[in-house]
Amino acid sequence: MIDIEKEIQKDRRAFIKNVLSGTIAGSLLMVIPAGAALDGAIPEQIPGVRGDHSPFLKNQFVFIVDVTACIGCGSCCVADKNEYNVPDGNYRTWVERYVIDDHDEVFVDCPNGGLDGYTKPRTDIPYPVRDTFFVPKLCNMCQKPSCVQVCPVGATYRTEDGFILVDKKRCVGCGYCIQACPYSARYLNPVTKTADKCTWCYHRVREGLLPTCVNVCPVHARKFGDLNDKNSEVYKLLREPHVISVLKPGMGNQPALHYLGLRREVV
Amino acid sequence: MEKEYKSKYYSHVVKIVLIFIVVGVLAVVGRNYLLPDTMGQYGHYRGSDLEDQRNVEVRSHTNESCFECHRPIRLIHKAGVHKTVSCEFCHGPYADHVKDGKYVAKLPVKKGMEIKELCLRCHNKIIRARPEESIKVVAMPQHLEEMKVQVDHNCNQCHMVHDPLLWIKAANEMMGMEMKGDKKN
Repeated sequence: MIDIEKEIQKDRRAFIKNVLSGTIAGSLLMVIPAGAALDGAIPEQIPGVRGDHSPFLKNQFVFIVDVTACIGCGSCCVADKNEYNVPDGNYRTWVERYVIDDHDEVFVDCPNGGLDGYTKPRTDIPYPVRDTFFVPKLCNMCQKPSCVQVCPVGATYRTEDGFILVDKKRCVGCGYCIQACPYSARYLNPVTKTADKCTWCYHRVREGLLPTCVNVCPVHARKFGDLNDKNSEVYKLLREPHVISVLKPGMGNQPALHYLGLRREVV
Repeated sequence: MEKEYKSKYYSHVVKIVLIFIVVGVLAVVGRNYLLPDTMGQYGHYRGSDLEDQRNVEVRSHTNESCFECHRPIRLIHKAGVHKTVSCEFCHGPYADHVKDGKYVAKLPVKKGMEIKELCLRCHNKIIRARPEESIKVVAMPQHLEEMKVQVDHNCNQCHMVHDPLLWIKAANEMMGMEMKGDKKN
């Protein structure tokens, strides 16, 4: 009898413990996001980066674009223009439309860089259309960048964590880098009169945020992550069997921008 | 007597050497004066530019930032199939609305046929490049005819823009009907 009494006592204790810890944990869960909301900071999207003030991060960032998922909505282009106030007619990122007819001829267009989306089909194609798809383009962040090599004043450079950036104070706007880039990712900014291009949102990444185009993509066609993190999606995509390719591999630039399901027609 | 041909005067050599030294000193001093201090700190570039690059303003936030204040729409938006669509895509960047935690200006809310344009930017079947697993597409006048509504109807008359199937699901529930998609599953 005494044993049973003891058991009941134990059970009660365990029950009270469980209820108490449950309540505390539950209330904490409700409090923590509310607390984060108060200081107005955006929740961290890349773990362990915010607050790191060393000049270079230890991460090895890669960007993957899934061509098979892209719906050509142009969210990325809109977000990019919003983030940087890119002057009209210049594009840091853009979405190309490829149309292949049944004679295997390829037609590429990109009205306003995909900023207004694709609302009209192409009417100038003589034969029935076999296939169409969208290809988002941005800076390839080459491991051997030709733009850095040609800069006469050291205004464009590759950081140790793999970003190629343009120093706006140093750039003289000669345009060598614009010609050297095999991917046409650069343009001459008409406002600052310096070379400009996609930075993979360096300022956001350093704050632990995803690049803005990755953040807004509704179909998750743009993926950004750290190759050193073995649990990240990009690590799994790049290290496990997938059809992954880069643009113009023959140029030898070794881009860190990879494409998933890229077609041979794409240049 | 070949030695006599050699000049005993070295002033021209001294002049040239002096000119070289002066030019060299000027070049070194000028270079130091003209180059930024942090040039070459990490490589052949201005090291302090890294700091400048980090200080670029973050203008676009995430949906969560919007939902902090816009609570009612949060419940609707996050429950529907449009949960992956960015608020800022239709309404504009966060920084134009809130600056340093303070309200600055009203962001546009799309009205009338602007909404239809915005919907068809993604859901237009006539652009054939859209993978069906990613998005549901409709051909425009045909969809209205199929659904037996007037052809001048706007999308948001049947579809709640933040959760396109919200009203349709509710209506179907009231009528005791099943969704088209549900049958397949």
